Amino acid sequence: MSITTEAGAPAGKAWKSKEEFLGCVILTDWILLFVLFLVLLGSYHIHYMLLAGDWDFWIDFKDRRMWPTVAPIVAMCFAAAAQSFFWTKFRLPFGATVVTLALLVGEWINRYDNFWGWTFFPISLVFPSALIPMAFWLDVVLLLSGSWLVTALLGSMGWGLLFYPSNWPVLAQYHQAAEVDGVLLTLADLIGFNYVRTGTPEYIRMIERGTLRTFGKDVVPVAAFFSGFVSMLVYFLWWQFGKWFARTDYLANDEI
Amino acid sequence: MKLSIGETLAKFLGARSVRALALGLAAAVAATTLPAATPASAHGERSQQAFLRMRTLNWYDVKWSKTEVNVNEDMELTGKVHVFSGWPQAVAKPEQAFLNVGEPGPVFVRKASFVSGIPTPRTFSLEIGQDYEYKIVLRARRQGRYHVHVQINVKDGGPIVGPGQWISIKGDMANFTNPVTLLDGSTVDLETLGIKWTMTYHFLWMAAAAFWVIYWFMQKGIIARGWQVAAGKANDIITPADKRFGGLWLAGSMLALLIFYAHANNEFPRTLPMQAGLLTGIDPMHEGPVTVISNYGGGSYKVRGRELTIKLKITNNGTEPLKIGEFTTAGLRFLNPDVFTTRPDFPEYLLADRGLSVNDPTPIAPGETKDVVVTVQDARFDIERLSDLAYDTDSQFGGLLFLFSPTGKRVKLEIGGPVIPRFQAGASL
Repeated sequence: MSITTEAGAPAGKAWKSKEEFLGCVILTDWILLFVLFLVLLGSYHIHYMLLAGDWDFWIDFKDRRMWPTVAPIVAMCFAAAAQSFFWTKFRLPFGATVVTLALLVGEWINRYDNFWGWTFFPISLVFPSALIPMAFWLDVVLLLSGSWLVTALLGSMGWGLLFYPSNWPVLAQYHQAAEVDGVLLTLADLIGFNYVRTGTPEYIRMIERGTLRTFGKDVVPVAAFFSGFVSMLVYFLWWQFGKWFARTDYLANDEI
Repeated sequence: MKLSIGETLAKFLGARSVRALALGLAAAVAATTLPAATPASAHGERSQQAFLRMRTLNWYDVKWSKTEVNVNEDMELTGKVHVFSGWPQAVAKPEQAFLNVGEPGPVFVRKASFVSGIPTPRTFSLEIGQDYEYKIVLRARRQGRYHVHVQINVKDGGPIVGPGQWISIKGDMANFTNPVTLLDGSTVDLETLGIKWTMTYHFLWMAAAAFWVIYWFMQKGIIARGWQVAAGKANDIITPADKRFGGLWLAGSMLALLIFYAHANNEFPRTLPMQAGLLTGIDPMHEGPVTVISNYGGGSYKVRGRELTIKLKITNNGTEPLKIGEFTTAGLRFLNPDVFTTRPDFPEYLLADRGLSVNDPTPIAPGETKDVVVTVQDARFDIERLSDLAYDTDSQFGGLLFLFSPTGKRVKLEIGGPVIPRFQAGASL
């Protein structure tokens, strides 16, 4: 028989009842989810802005070759690491989705408050790349296969291939053409020209630069396949990185 | 017990005295700083090294067609730019350049820009030693008072900012429209085009993502799953029903994506890739034959006196006598009051209307070669941080000298060369 008091928990126990214990776990779960979300938002946002940068900031940088190559590859890093953490430690199949959602929440706050609210750039110039459908693909491949190897091969390829189609529903309207003072421009070009960016001259844009000329206008699939292949390598690397980062180390008493 | 400085003071003077002191200090700081505070408006041109601003692009005849406009009203920013022959070795040549506007965000929309009459929404090449005429058509977008500069960005050289002018925009940005006619003849408003759909599309996917995360989170949370995994029961957590749900979720997502994609293709059947490419072969301005020649004979800069002294040998091969009337560099204009009897319309902070003098005020007659000493002296030289020339790695000045005939004809001379800084007071050339 345990010794109890009316106000406190049983001696040697931290909780009065199983319900209280479960309530505590659930509350901690929510706090954990919230904190993890913010940590992922901040870290992934910095990572993505540093590596994708202008390709993600501006509509007139979102071309058919460089953008679908670079953006998925650099986006894959945190998706793979988050999957590694959530899957290995908790068997939660939402690593890629939660980290991508966190990134997009951060990006939209940034684009709306800073780019539009402070400096008046229209949202049509500064909206971020859509990544959620790719994250669903990656998470479900891991869920169904239960294998990070299969996810690295199949999931990463889908990640690269799905990027452009995921963005085209928004992008298409800005690729209508107009003639301005005798010059042919898409609306994406024109938005970039009209809405002045003092520190972003036109020559910074890398519009379909490179040596890939054999496929004519069909450069997107080639870029997407290439992006998928590189994403595989990135997935392998960052899965391990996520695993290393999420490891638990114990210190022996005599080391303390 | 160890007391902090604040606590010691409080003990010594009493809490009330410390509060009064703090309030008084805050009031004193506010009184001395707030009235003098002005809105941040510069575009960093003063922070650029003096030799870069003096010896890359020399701006002249810069004009702002209006200094007060309403939202949706157009104004023009026009002028000429000389690409300095002695372009500094440290700065990349203007093989890729872009005509830009220095303004705090898109408060003006750039509707068109031209260099030598050629539309320049793209990057173009400039030739060293040549002059170009430019025009930028700006449409007022956001109410307020803004400092608007002309600017040319040079690849690997950075933005080279020209003179700026304060422009007031009246009205309300909510009324701004930016109509554009498409190739098919229809008109769209670029200010708002597609924004609602873009946000809807993104937020739909984000809502779906939030649902996916919450769905799995609500199953067993995070901690309980962690315990199960730690207990070696990881493979029991995901059930066949979970996999079924996941498969269906993915199928639904891909179907939705397919529908969105097909809808976009259906609604916008004719789309083009973005347009880019370097514009080369833009013709410089065609100026008449060279009738005046100058040779630079050395110069010095008195740091304390803010005085640039230049020795020149000028030969006038023209048909009219000429007087030295203006020296312009880095957007600043130094005028000879003997020539400019009225003050030209130009931003006050860049116009030194008595900033130039010549040792011999008589005109240079046709056929005459004359040695002259030109003195440029004004506080603006220092305010605009051109005096930092003395501390640059390449202590050479550069700029344009304008000579005027009695009939009003203007002759432009590019001058430049090394100058020796004189730090001590009373030093002479």
